[in-house]
Formats: sequence, structure tokens, C-alpha cells
Amino acid sequence: MIYAVVADDELLARQKLRQLLREEPEIDVVGESASAMETIELVRMTQPDLLFLDIRMPGMDGFDIIGALMAEPNLPMPRIIFTTAYDSYALRAFEIHAVDYLLKPFTFERLHSAVESARQQLQAAKHAPARDDLAKTNGHQYTKRIVFKSRGRILFLPVPEIRWIGAEENYVRICTQSETHLLRETMSRIEERLDPQMFLRVHRSSIVNLQYVKEVRTDADGECMVILVNGQKIAMSRSYRSRIQEWLHR
Amino acid sequence: MHTSRWRKRVEGFTLTFLERLKARSQPLFLHPVIFISGFVCLGLLFALQSWNSARIWSYRLDLGLLLKAWGVQYFIWGTICWLLWFWYGPRIQQLTIWRMVAAVLPFSILVAVVEEMLWVYCIPNWPIRRREMDYWKRLTFMLDGEMVDNLVIFWCTFFLVRGIGYYQKFREKEHAAAQLEIEVIQAQMRALRMQLNPHFLFNTLNSISSLMRTDVAAADTMLEQLSSLLRIALERREVQLIPLTDEMEFVEMYLEIQDQRYTGRIREEIRIDPELHDALVPAMILQPIVENAFAHGLSRLDSGGLLVVEARRENENLKLTVLNNGAGVNAEMATARSSQGVGLANVKNRLWLHYGADQMFSLDEIDTGKVLATITLPLQFAKSPTAKFTGYGV
Repeated sequence: MIYAVVADDELLARQKLRQLLREEPEIDVVGESASAMETIELVRMTQPDLLFLDIRMPGMDGFDIIGALMAEPNLPMPRIIFTTAYDSYALRAFEIHAVDYLLKPFTFERLHSAVESARQQLQAAKHAPARDDLAKTNGHQYTKRIVFKSRGRILFLPVPEIRWIGAEENYVRICTQSETHLLRETMSRIEERLDPQMFLRVHRSSIVNLQYVKEVRTDADGECMVILVNGQKIAMSRSYRSRIQEWLHR
Repeated sequence: MHTSRWRKRVEGFTLTFLERLKARSQPLFLHPVIFISGFVCLGLLFALQSWNSARIWSYRLDLGLLLKAWGVQYFIWGTICWLLWFWYGPRIQQLTIWRMVAAVLPFSILVAVVEEMLWVYCIPNWPIRRREMDYWKRLTFMLDGEMVDNLVIFWCTFFLVRGIGYYQKFREKEHAAAQLEIEVIQAQMRALRMQLNPHFLFNTLNSISSLMRTDVAAADTMLEQLSSLLRIALERREVQLIPLTDEMEFVEMYLEIQDQRYTGRIREEIRIDPELHDALVPAMILQPIVENAFAHGLSRLDSGGLLVVEARRENENLKLTVLNNGAGVNAEMATARSSQGVGLANVKNRLWLHYGADQMFSLDEIDTGKVLATITLPLQFAKSPTAKFTGYGV
């Protein structure tokens, strides 16, 4: 069971969250608060796993609340999901390792994916409590998630959800199961941030997530291609062929 | 104590003097140094001329003395005229003819006399070889010969100052007119963009209202999409030209909403040449065309609808096309002319305001039922592409 607190100064906003969270069997809302002081007090008392936090609140803003909570010794820090109407704090939220950033109004699906991320993070922390520290000491350098704005939404996209990445001049197109997003970024810059155990450059203009590779095929004309689990074909250069064969035969 | 007060006064005066000097917008030649040197140069030229004419009459004159006499005279005149412009410049422009005769004429005589008094004081050995004359005698002698010249100099400067005033006013008016034109165009653009939004906004709100009764989740999704759309539209505000990626993002969001309405009836294709992602287009230029394709073409089909949005480079132009296989151009043209076609009229207007004759917009039936809208505009790229954030983290 995940214990959650909902902090928002608007009654209707809290009501909506609570209603939607009723559909999430694993979430138990243990309290609601309408101001910064109330939120700090409530978190101190209930010590929840998850905090749904509005950024603009009377008294202090959401980040001040987090600062105040972190300053308390012996208080386990809840995971944070921001719910706000403003998109301008997204990068800051990402930097303080918030689980997600929901722009109001959000749908149940969007909330569900945020809750799912929180659940995974909490589970991972439970099984390997020292994992974060371990990663730090190992000099872990590969990105686990990417934050960007796409079609008016803020996405904290977990890297494993990326199926493949295509180059488009000054941009890269990130393709997930259901969507594609255009980012102003270069292939080499994004490649060096991705774990080579998970992602492979198969062409000057494409990177694939090996998790989703079904097979490598050479057609009648001698053209090589990678076929993803959803049937998508991605051209491959010969120079990269040996690398993927090596991986396939592992 | 006494001296310090004086110093303060002098400092105060020079300060306000300098401030006033800075505050006045003026042509370069009215800078005091340039103006007075100009006068002195004129005086020196006259000196040379009279020295030359004296030689013709075989009359020997000391060139140095001539230069000094003329130079000093024009230096004094230059200073007086500049001060007159500086103190009375704006008032000179407002004078009526009656005031000129009644006030400036006597004033000009006074100034002419004072100038001559100063000059006679500065040049004591003139007229030449008449050392026995005292100051007043020399003054009357000089006034006799120079009064008319002095008045001519005064009035020439007077009308010069008046002329400068008219010229400056003319320039200001011209500048203001140009500024106004820009503002009018901007206001028109704003107005046109405002007309685009509500049309679509209320249709979508109506769809949400309708969905609310049948499918709450779908209504919620549509609300989220509409909010995203509004968020982006509000963010852009007054920006007129945006990168094609941003415009396409908007179109894609619009299509997402339309997808909900026309579930599965319409296939959409978007083909953007990757090198054109950063090309600049007027904000909200494609959306009305896509909307038009839906409203007057695709919405009449039960199935098999096709919508293709394409961006290509053609030499130095950017070509944007929207193809649909709806009801045909006649239906679309008819509505384009009616009040519902206000969106397309706006597209034309805005293209014209942005690019003048360098753009083209057409709506053609290329096949039975297939309508192709084409926008051609000069290809430009953003100098510094808008940095949308991308962050990486663990």
C-alpha cells in the first residue's frame, strides 16, 4: 500500500485528485491539506510515501515546502508528484527528482502513469535501499529519464520507454510506444547520455532500444535493417551490423 | 562663502546649459563649435575677398588686420546667432508676421548696434590710419557703413532658424507616420489572430459539453488537449513569426482533438522536410487551413478521409500544402466567401501583411473531390532558435 497526501489550496482540485485516486487500488490517501503550514504538519504526522503537491499555495510555494521537509531530521522524504497549472517550474521539479509533473487539467491516464512511476521508484527503493548511493559512487553517468515539453505537456520520460530515436537535421525524434516527440538536440549528444547496454546506434541517423529489437534482416537488395517488436523497420548501415550481431548472439 | 555661492550659481548654470544642450535634438551643424566656426570661416572668406578687391584698385591693405577684423565680426555674429537659436529657437518658429515686425525688427536693430559696439571695442585700430578718432566716433562711422550688412546677417539667420524648425517638424511627422503604420499593422495582426481562436475554441467546448454526457473519460482527454493548446497559444502571445516545428506541434494537437471527433474516419499524414523544422512561418497560419479542410471537406465523408500536411523547400521558398479529399473546391470556395470562411480570408490577409507580394496562397481542386491548399512564402530561418528546455537526469 502506498500512503499519499494531497496538498492543494483549491477544494475542487483536491476532490478531483481524490476521486481519480480511488481508481488506484494501491494508493491510500491519508490526508489533505490546503496550505503550506498544514502540508508540513500533515507530512510530519503521517509520514506518507507520496505527496501530490501544488506549486502555488498560500504561505509558501511547493519548493519551499520541500525545503522545509528536507530540513527536518528523521523525517523520511515522500516522493513528490507536482500538480500545477504552470509549466515554468518543470525543470526545477525535475532537478529535485520529483516523480512527475502534472499540468492541470490532467486525465486519469496521465495521473495513472505518474502513480505507476512512483510505485516503481518506491519498490526499487525498498528492494535496494542503498542503490542511489551505489550509483553515485560508481560514477553512474547515463541518464535514466529525460524532461522536455511536447505538445503543451511536460514529460518526465523514463529512458526505457524510448523505442528508437531518429535524426532530423537539428532535431531528434524520440519514439515511444504510442507517441513521437521532436527535440532540439543532436544525435551524438543524446547518444552519449544513453546507456550503451540498452541503446545502440545502428545508423548515422538512428538509435534503437535493444529491448524492442525483434530481429536484424538483410533483404534481397542487400540492405540491412532492424525490425522492432511492433514491426517497424529501421535502416541500418553495414558498419554497425557486426555490433548488433554481437549483441544478438549474446 | 560669497565666492562659493557664485561658483554654485555658475555651476548650476553650466549644468542646466549642458543639459539643455543634450536634450535638444538638433542637426549636427547647430553644434556650437561647428556653427560658430562656420561663421568665422565665412568672415575669413569675406576678408580675402575685400583684400583681393582692394588690390585691384591698387590699394594696399594688411591682410592680417583684415582677417582679424572680419574674423572677429563673424565670430561675434556666430555667437549671437547661436545663442538666439538656443534660447529662442522654438519661439522663433511660432512667431506671427505681426510679432516679427513689431518685436523682432526693433530687436534686430538693437542686436546690430550691440554687435557693432562689441566689434569696435575689440578692433581699436579701425578705420585704418585714423588713430585720432575716439570710441564713439569710430562706432558711428562703422554703423554708418555696416548697419545694413548687420541687419541682413541677423535676418538671414532668423529665417534659417525658422527653416530648420520646419524641417525638424517635417521629419518628426514623417517618423510618427511610419511608426503609426507599423502599429496599425500590428493591431491588425492581433485582431486577425483573435478571430482565429474563438471559432475553434467554442466548437471544441461544445464537443466537450456533448461528450460529458456520454463519455466522461473522452471529455476529460479533450479538455486536457484543449488546455495544452491554449497554454501554447497564450505562451506565444505577440510573437508573429515562429519556427515551423512550433506551428506543426500546434497543428498536431489540433488534429488530436479532431481525431476524437471523427474517430477513425480520417487518415492523417504529416510530411515535413527535416531541414525546415526551424523555418519561420506566421503563427497560426496552417491551423485555419486544416480547420477549413475539416469543416468544408472531410466532415462530409463517412469514411476514407485523407488529410496530408506537407512542407517542402522550393529554391528560396517554403511551400506548405494541405491536401484533403473532401467535398471538392466548389463547396470550399463557396464557404470561403461566406462568413464561415473568415479563417481563410485571414490567412490571405496575414500573408499579405507579412510578405507583401512575395507570397502566394491558392486553393485548387487537383482531382475530383481532392482539394489542395498551397502557401508559398520566402524561406527564412530563426536567427536564434527558441530554446525549449531538455533536461537529463538519473
